[in-house]
Amino acid sequence: MKKIKAVMVGQPNVGKSSIINAISNARLHVGNFAGVTVEKKEVEVRKGEYEIDIVDLPGIYSLHAYTPEEQVTKRYLLEESYDVIINVVDANVLQRNLVFTLQLLDMRKKTILVVNMVDEVEEKGGHIDANKLSELLDIPVILTSAKEKRGVEEILDQVIHIYHQPKCGCKIYYNEKIEEEIERLAKILLKSPHFSDYDQARFYVIRLLEKDEDIYRIVHDLPIFLELHEALGEAIRRLQLEFDVEDVRDLFAEERHALAKSIVMQVMRLPQKESLTDKIDKILIHPVFGLPIFLFFMWGLFQLTFEIGSLPVDYLDQTITNFANWLKGILPPGDFNSVITDGVIPAVGAVIMFLPNILILFLGINLLEQTGYMARAAFLLDGFLKKFGLQGKAFIPLVSGFGCTVPAYMAARTLKNPKDRLITMLILGFMNCSARLPVYVLLISAFFATHSAGNVLFAIYIGGAILGLFVAKILRMVLFKGEPEPFVMEMPPYRFPSLKALAMELWIKSKLFIKKAGTFIAGAAMIIWFLSSYPHHPKLEQNYQQRIEQVQDAKIKEQLQNELAAKKLELSYLGQFGKMIEPVFAPLGFDWRLSVATISGLAAKEVVVSTLATLYAVGAGNEHSSTLVQKLREYVDFKTAVALIVIIMIYSPCVAAMSTFYAEVPQWAWRTFYTIYPNVLAWLMAFSVYHVLALLGF
Amino acid sequence: MNITDLKIGEKATITKVKASEPIKGRLYAMGITKGNTIRLLDHTLKKQTWEVDVEGTRVALRDEEARAVEVER
Ligand SMILES: Nc1nc2c(ncn2[C@@H]2O[C@H](COP(=O)(O)OP(=O)(O)O)[C@@H](O)[C@H]2O)c(=O)[nH]1
Ligand SMILES: [Mg+2]
Repeated sequence: MKKIKAVMVGQPNVGKSSIINAISNARLHVGNFAGVTVEKKEVEVRKGEYEIDIVDLPGIYSLHAYTPEEQVTKRYLLEESYDVIINVVDANVLQRNLVFTLQLLDMRKKTILVVNMVDEVEEKGGHIDANKLSELLDIPVILTSAKEKRGVEEILDQVIHIYHQPKCGCKIYYNEKIEEEIERLAKILLKSPHFSDYDQARFYVIRLLEKDEDIYRIVHDLPIFLELHEALGEAIRRLQLEFDVEDVRDLFAEERHALAKSIVMQVMRLPQKESLTDKIDKILIHPVFGLPIFLFFMWGLFQLTFEIGSLPVDYLDQTITNFANWLKGILPPGDFNSVITDGVIPAVGAVIMFLPNILILFLGINLLEQTGYMARAAFLLDGFLKKFGLQGKAFIPLVSGFGCTVPAYMAARTLKNPKDRLITMLILGFMNCSARLPVYVLLISAFFATHSAGNVLFAIYIGGAILGLFVAKILRMVLFKGEPEPFVMEMPPYRFPSLKALAMELWIKSKLFIKKAGTFIAGAAMIIWFLSSYPHHPKLEQNYQQRIEQVQDAKIKEQLQNELAAKKLELSYLGQFGKMIEPVFAPLGFDWRLSVATISGLAAKEVVVSTLATLYAVGAGNEHSSTLVQKLREYVDFKTAVALIVIIMIYSPCVAAMSTFYAEVPQWAWRTFYTIYPNVLAWLMAFSVYHVLALLGF
Repeated sequence: MNITDLKIGEKATITKVKASEPIKGRLYAMGITKGNTIRLLDHTLKKQTWEVDVEGTRVALRDEEARAVEVER
């Protein structure tokens, strides 16, 4: 068995991941690139006597790396060892993609070119001559369509074929004058014992002429550096004079564009006609109607999340309750029985019940991304976000924030300017993550009429977003006074979403969510159950038990039982802790139960629901008494509930999100600020809301 | 003249990109380089953000960047 290591490189959205998914019998591994939180997908596939390992590198527009993802790819290309480069390009925009291909070919590694999405070109009546393209570039060329699974297997054959070639044939050369300078400089580089390969020296020289800092750093410590540096300066001066350019980088850019253009002219025929994307864009990013349409989509998404997502909730609720009762019957009575049937199952169940809501929201966000609408939304919102010191691209982490704050913090990496990125990250917590949805749904169904539920939920989400924008503005004015980062973004064509990819993504999300519910939340529930059940108070129990036996009236019996449960809770460790922090939350109308639930939300937002379930459901021994909703209505008044909603909207996100922030932001000052300010703000806002409502007579 | 002087739907040839690094590199990577054909597709209501088509790629730009791209009819 021979091992071949290949890397898959290409510009964003060319279909690299789709190709990897289309390879049959491949084993997929998902992980991270060493030291960074950029997702790394790797597949292993057997072909004859070969084991081919393909790494899917993040999309990169140019070796002039700009975003952290591009940096990861560039570093991988420069530093890691691999046998073959698979360069994937989008046939629709071949010319732009070939400019990057030409940069790659400077490396003179064994490279094959995969021209993907030929189905789209053919549909438009276009044609690509693969043989001619292969001849011009002198590398193997394969036409593929990941959508139709065309040509995908041939990639593997070509990888094996080129693996056995002595070296890359690549015969791309720049203008004679440029090549002369390159050769002169490469000779100096080859004097160093670190270089023996002319091709590598040539590549380094080209990068140096293009002022590539990563390469500069590598050659900086070589003994021949002084000589090289001087010769480089002279070469640059000569080239600037010869070609009348201000910057040699422009010279290379123009050379590659001219080459790419002439190649495309020779190999491709693509009729220009108004595409579907043109037609759709006329409506969706219309100067006047674009924004209302966008708001309508968002509103629709939240309505769907609530309306359809709540359909199976009653059924799930019933199933979980039945399961707990059944288990209570067959397990031996005692602490173990209680911790499982009173602690873990109701807590995990309370969270699982919201899976339908969460899945619909995720589906919506995924759909926006896959169809290409996300970039349009960024386009529409840039002018608006700029006013708040943010930029259109910040919209992507901000929207991801509605899914989960953790990936949203990571998505903020697309913002290159550190200040833009930090401001965006500091307000991401105000975008309500889906884990908070269960808490809102619970409180809304307990305290608002069913017909206004969708609107209240919409108001919570919009309210959080608006608050975030104002905070961003204040942060920008107070902490940073610099112009926001420039905004240059590709608008991908509209594409019909791939149902398989959507289903796959949903499957992964559900699995992660259920895993979280089954481990983290179950663990938290167990701890809360323990803290709320201990220490025991035999005397108190005896006392009440006697009184319960003495009375005849069933109603009074029940009342005494609940009283006992409440007393026991109050005396438990949890009750003691709640009492301790009660003064902090007392001005908001919170009792110790709500205080404990709020704190527990720092572990994970869904835990607020399960904590409330534990704290209020205890003592509800008799069937007709209550679900959690009724208990809440009994114990909590309207203005307190609204104050709780406000707290949940603003205060620190969960531990997982906070640790992601710490991982992304190394400065201690910012970490401290990030840890403190949302909580202070949350308390102040909740306090104001509570007292305004009180004044209004609620 | 620059991109912002074009009418919607109008085509022109790029003559110069005046931006500084790293924006220039980004514009180049999107295909916004001297000699390429550019077509103005759309702008937002207040003309703060512009959308162009360069050789088949659609790119969104802010006002500042759009002004940095000089064109010729
Ligand atoms: N029509 C068509 N669409 C494709 C093809 N390959 C990928 N796509 C779509 O192009 C988009 C980007 O694909 P993806 O694999 O995520 O690109 P990546 O960023 O390079 O990994 C997705 O919507 C895919 O469904 C293809 O061969 N034909
Ligand atoms: Mg991908």
